[in-house]
Amino acid sequence: MSAAVMASPSLAAQRGILGAVLLVAAWEGLARGLDLPSYVLPAVSDILASIWSNRMLLTQAAGYTLFEALAGYGVGCLIGIALAVVITMLPPVRSVMLPIATAINSVPVVGYSPLILLWFGIGVASKVVMVAMAVSFTVFLSTLAGFDRVDRRAVDLLRSFGAGRFKILFRLRLPTALPLMLTAMRVSTVRSVIVAIVTEMLGAYGGLGWIIYQAVLQIDFVQVWSAIFVASAISLTFFGLIGAIERRILFWT
Amino acid sequence: MQAGLQTKETGPVGSLEDAAEPLLELRAVTKTFGEVTALARLDATIARGEFVTVVGPSGCGKSTLFNIVAGLEEPDTGGVLRFEGRSCHAADLLGQVSFMPQRDLLLPWRNVVDNAILALEVEGVPRQQARAQALRMLPEFGLAGFENQYPHQLSGGMRQRVALMRTFLFERGLMLLDEPFGALDALTRAMMQRWLLDVWQKYRRTILFITHDVDEAIFLGDRVLVMTARPGSVKLEQVVDLPRPRRPEIVTAPEFIRLKRILLEAIEEESIKSFQSATVREQTS
Repeated sequence: MSAAVMASPSLAAQRGILGAVLLVAAWEGLARGLDLPSYVLPAVSDILASIWSNRMLLTQAAGYTLFEALAGYGVGCLIGIALAVVITMLPPVRSVMLPIATAINSVPVVGYSPLILLWFGIGVASKVVMVAMAVSFTVFLSTLAGFDRVDRRAVDLLRSFGAGRFKILFRLRLPTALPLMLTAMRVSTVRSVIVAIVTEMLGAYGGLGWIIYQAVLQIDFVQVWSAIFVASAISLTFFGLIGAIERRILFWT
Repeated sequence: MQAGLQTKETGPVGSLEDAAEPLLELRAVTKTFGEVTALARLDATIARGEFVTVVGPSGCGKSTLFNIVAGLEEPDTGGVLRFEGRSCHAADLLGQVSFMPQRDLLLPWRNVVDNAILALEVEGVPRQQARAQALRMLPEFGLAGFENQYPHQLSGGMRQRVALMRTFLFERGLMLLDEPFGALDALTRAMMQRWLLDVWQKYRRTILFITHDVDEAIFLGDRVLVMTARPGSVKLEQVVDLPRPRRPEIVTAPEFIRLKRILLEAIEEESIKSFQSATVREQTS
């Protein structure tokens, strides 16, 4: 939905904007009208004001988190696609790899965070590893499903032209898998930001998750909301960007 | 089972080539899939430049025959497969035969020209050169001006012509066409048949053409092979001695009707057999 909102000022986009405006208005009215304490729900205007006054701190933290998310995202996508390619090119590997991958993936990636923090420290590296893990599984499984979706008869047609595995991979399997692959990459954008922030909350030297954690300790809930707002903005922008790229590439669907 | 009367007949009318050595020869070719015998000791020969059509009841192993000749499927040991006078494995035929499957199988992310040059690209022909070659061929395939269109923008008949062009551009001694016009409406199909004959006569390719339409088999072919019910082999080999070029109204000529009667009778017999065996199987299971 949000991808459509960003792309074109269509009817859907207008509705989306209207929905957002109504939500903000209701929120503001509720918080002000009932005079809710900030640990229940601060007013949107207070949050925005706090974002502005803390802009230096938030920008720096956002940059920190964004770097972790992007680096992990890039590495994760590469690993996911590469694994899917290997499994497709070497069918015997599949029966070894797939159960392992499924077993690792059956635990939420956050479950591994204590180990990852232990192994990679509480700096940037552990966040990149966590994000890469989360992204690579999603991209791997979708890409593999995309490769498997290829039409058997189309493979036969290329074989009859004398094409080997690599020619079939590049001319047929990869383009066939692209729609699923790109969907997984779009969904993973939001996941990468979430995982970066959650891991930061478990131990970090900076970033939006670290700010949220510190703000909770200082009982500064407006600050918590400020960081959440900034994180949402980053997620939505990232999501919209990949969504736009996706639509450009997949002109035929 | 193989009732094929081997008529070493004159090649196609107007053919100047020596048809003494067949381009493709199948002797006692058998193919089983587990319990099912798809082909049983099938014999067939195809001469250079010949247009051979294959008809038979559904499930008679036509597609298995095609997959073997296309090199996609290896027959059981014991049979003989000879191509261009040399004994070979089916796998040796990969890349040697231009194969067109039932569905057009155009790649949706490639435009008309790039779909047409797919086989050339796989062969290693530089893209620019292949594209130039395809562009020259476009008018003949009724696709002039459509080079930059994508498959979803084309009609069924046009998509089929793109697929045919892809097959023609892959210049090999033998072309295999598997019910290429099966999905088209009757009018488009008739036009495509006449057009295919024109192109065939111009390029002088050898064609093996599967169809389930007897009219189509007679109208196009120099020879019609009727296949038996499963396990498939050649039941009847009928030479079509109609003059070329063939006009659309030839389908009403007495000779055409006579051939049609012979073929329909043979197919009818086999259809009943395959229907009965299917019913028996249902009852026993």
